[in-house]
Amino acid sequence: MYNVIQLFIKYGAHILFVVLEVICFTLIINYNKAQKDIFINSSNVLAGKITEQRNKILEFTNLRSQNDSLMRENANLIENLIAIEYATDAIPESDSLLSKFSLIPTRVINSTVYLRNNYFTLDKGSRQGVQPEMGVIGAHQGLIGIVKNVSDNYAGVISLLNSYTRISCSVKGRNGHGTLEWRNSSPLKMNITGFPKHDVIAVGDTVITSGYSTIFPRGLLIGVIEDFTVPSGSNNYNITVKLFNDLTSTKYAYVIQNRFAAEQIKLEKELMNE
Amino acid sequence: MNKTITTNIIRFILIIAVQVVVFSQITFTIGDVAYIHFIIYPLAILLMPVKTPRAVLLLSAFVVGIVIDMFFSSPGIHAAALVFTAYIRNTIIALIEPYEGYNTADIPSLQNFGLGWFVSYLSISLLIHIFVYFSIEAFSFVYFFEIFLNTIFSFIVSFIVILLSQFIFRTKY
Repeated sequence: MYNVIQLFIKYGAHILFVVLEVICFTLIINYNKAQKDIFINSSNVLAGKITEQRNKILEFTNLRSQNDSLMRENANLIENLIAIEYATDAIPESDSLLSKFSLIPTRVINSTVYLRNNYFTLDKGSRQGVQPEMGVIGAHQGLIGIVKNVSDNYAGVISLLNSYTRISCSVKGRNGHGTLEWRNSSPLKMNITGFPKHDVIAVGDTVITSGYSTIFPRGLLIGVIEDFTVPSGSNNYNITVKLFNDLTSTKYAYVIQNRFAAEQIKLEKELMNE
Repeated sequence: MNKTITTNIIRFILIIAVQVVVFSQITFTIGDVAYIHFIIYPLAILLMPVKTPRAVLLLSAFVVGIVIDMFFSSPGIHAAALVFTAYIRNTIIALIEPYEGYNTADIPSLQNFGLGWFVSYLSISLLIHIFVYFSIEAFSFVYFFEIFLNTIFSFIVSFIVILLSQFIFRTKY
């Protein structure tokens, strides 16, 4: 206490000075319009800086939700691309072809790539509209796999990198089509069998889906031809494809919904049973 | 002692009255930016006895400043500037202390310390006061050019007026 009094005797005038100036400035800011404006404006500049920094940090923590919205946008864009591919069919129909395919953005939450039969798990399930036998594509419109089974909120996907994978594919600009399969060589490479050798192909040609199934629309990118041979006595090429998508690091995926899949499958079954 | 207090209070009232009634009415401009104000009220604080405790100076300055502000309808601006001037007044006096030192009871007037001392005392204090005043009035150094011009012109006219007043009223107490 004595020290406090000593301190006050010694520095009392300085403290008083500070107190009086604070009072004065309070008066100035509260009762003078010009000064008040400047004060508010300056503090806005300061507050703006702080808010900006805060937003930067929040943006970082919000990346997840931002990614989600970007994925939704991407899904719309890819839908449009597919629709454009089909729009050239130019057969007017009562149902708009533009809405034949729709995409569900999802996140890959589990995946294997180095097994003989690889699978993915997606974070959307039947509640979000994912059904078995739907195609799954990743970034760059590249294929990833086909939905095998679904629970309420999750979907199990057969990866392209699976010994059971058989996907109808084609080479861009050519008419022939073959079957895409994986021979357990490398997670970046797949093979095409059954591509007829009378079609001329070259290394570097783009491999796309043929659209001969209900699973994938045609024109989706798969990869480029890396190498091809014609085995002696065969009518078909043996093609090695380098995939566009690196399935070892896939984090986002889109499930393709085909609105008319059931119709097509039903019709084809009737044909078989005849 | 009582006499000193009474003298100072009367001087406060007179200086405030002159400032408010006469000099507040006179403002003229040079060009668009420079406003010339006659700022003579710091004299009230400057003429308090040499060894007045700082706390007393500060409180007096606050009161005088607030009263001036009431008439200028600019709450706090003059008070803030005058409190600052009061705060540094004793430092200035110590800085320009003559060889023979001060007589503690003396008031720092032209009469007691001579023209040379008083001119340096008045010019330093008044310049600081006016600069602080215009800075607070502008409230932002964005307007430095305006502050600078206002300070220079107002200082010149105020300085002349105060110096003349000291020749006319030979302040001894």
